[in-house]
Formats: sequence, structure tokens, C-alpha cells
Amino acid sequence: MIPALRSATTTTARTLEIVRVVLLLLILGAFVMYPVELFIIGHWLPTWESQVPFWITVPGVLFTVWIFFDRTTPWVRWAFIITMWVAILTGLVGAYWHWIWNMEDTRGIAWNWSYAMDQFHGFRPVLAAMAYTNMGVTGLACIFRAR
Amino acid sequence: MLERWMNATTPEGKTLGFLQNFFLLIAAFGFFFYGVEHWVIDHYMESFWARLPFYVSMIGLPLALAMFFTVHKAVRIPFTIWMVVSVLTGLLGALLHLVWNANDLGVSLFTISGLLESFQVPYRPVLAGLAHTHVGAVGLVVGLTATVKDS
Repeated sequence: MIPALRSATTTTARTLEIVRVVLLLLILGAFVMYPVELFIIGHWLPTWESQVPFWITVPGVLFTVWIFFDRTTPWVRWAFIITMWVAILTGLVGAYWHWIWNMEDTRGIAWNWSYAMDQFHGFRPVLAAMAYTNMGVTGLACIFRAR
Repeated sequence: MLERWMNATTPEGKTLGFLQNFFLLIAAFGFFFYGVEHWVIDHYMESFWARLPFYVSMIGLPLALAMFFTVHKAVRIPFTIWMVVSVLTGLLGALLHLVWNANDLGVSLFTISGLLESFQVPYRPVLAGLAHTHVGAVGLVVGLTATVKDS
């Protein structure tokens, strides 16, 4: 992204690269700050599911930083794109699990409206997990047609 | 923004148009989504401060939707200003959540342990307020680049 920004010759190309750099900076900040936040709130528990958002941070930070400097090497592009898809899935599965586990802690899994909505704002925040989905989608948008 | 995307002639212009519309959609969806979310989680309470993010969403959503169809300064400038308001609302929300948590717990934010304790209150998540900062920042990128000529 940075080499493309530096070598942009037209106003449009420069603006395009600025948009990409700013949005990538946002998701880089998110990849760094979310694990800190999750650690502070005690999300690191002795189950692998609770540690998934921490592990995704490793390729998330690594390849987001890398893509700032090199977005043309095929395996780096693919590694970044796959990481973003994993982040999208992490968010979706996380939201689903939060909801399911809220139900299991109460009266079991059931999908009638009032009960499901009660559990939707239960102890585990359902939509919070989708922050990772947001980051993944943003990353994919930034790499779209970026060569 | 849609018209600018459709009228783009260069490859860079088309990609820029796509990204601007995509991020505008994220901003619009964010305002809609957080408005509903705040209502669902009972954030809409008596105090003005509790209603503030709801008001920001109520004004931000129509402005974001209008931006899809026109970038006339009568829309673009209020939209861009409102994105700054959204950014500030998020920062203020995070700060207020933190201060109120500390008050509820009776701890000082100027000690490491007090600060960490105030972050861990589950019913008032500190960084959740920053969601509006994120929505505002994404919208601001669109607002500030909305009139770039395709060349």
C-alpha cells in the first residue's frame, strides 16, 4: 500500500491509496487493541474457543503490516486474504457461540422470540464478536483490485 | 456516491468508487445497526448521555443514505461534520463508561488496579463506545474524498 501511495501519479490513484491506507490502519489498530481489551476483560480462559480471537491476532497483525509494504507477492496476498476470511468466520461463529452459550447457561437452546432476544443481551455480548467480521470485510475491501 | 462510481472512467476511479460506496454502506449500516442495538440492550434511558448515541445514529443514518444519491455540499458538509461528531461521541462514550464504572466501584482511575477494574465491568463495556468512533472514521474517509475528480 505504501509503495503504491508513493508512486501514485493521478489524484484518483492517490486518493484510492489514501483510503486503503487509512482503513488498513484502522484494522491494524483493531487487531492490536482487541486482544488487549479481551485480555483485560478476562476472555483468555482455559478453552480453545475463548483463545481463538487471540490467535487470529498473530497472522492478523503480521500480514496487515506486511501488506502495507508488499501487496504484490502472491503468497503474501493470499495469506492476507485467508486471514481476513478467517477473521470474518471468527466473528460470525463467535457471535453464534456467545448466543448459544448464553442460552445453555439459562434454560437450554430454544429459538422462540422472547427467550432468544433475552439471551441475545445476556451475559456474553453476541454482536461484539462481529467486530472481527467487520475487520475481515474491511481488509478484503482494501486488497480488492490492489495490484 | 453511486453516480460518481457509475461515471468513473479510469480503473482507479472505479475501484475508488467501489470502496467509497462500500464504506458508506458500512457507515450507514453501522448507524442503523447501533441504533437498533442500543434500543435492544436498553441503552435508551432517562439521561441525555444514555440517549446521545441513539441521537447520533438517528441523524447519521439519513445523512449517510442521502450521500449515496448526492454529494452536493448541502449534504456532504453536514455528513462530514456529523462523522466528526460520531468520532467524538465514541471517544466521549468510552470515557464516560470508564468514569462511571470507577464511580460505581469506588476506585480511582489514576491507579493501575483501579483502571483495570473499571475496564472489567461487564454491564458497561468501556471500549464498546468506540464503535461510534469507528463508524464516524469510516464515514469521514468517504466524506473527505467524496468530491475527488476522476483523472
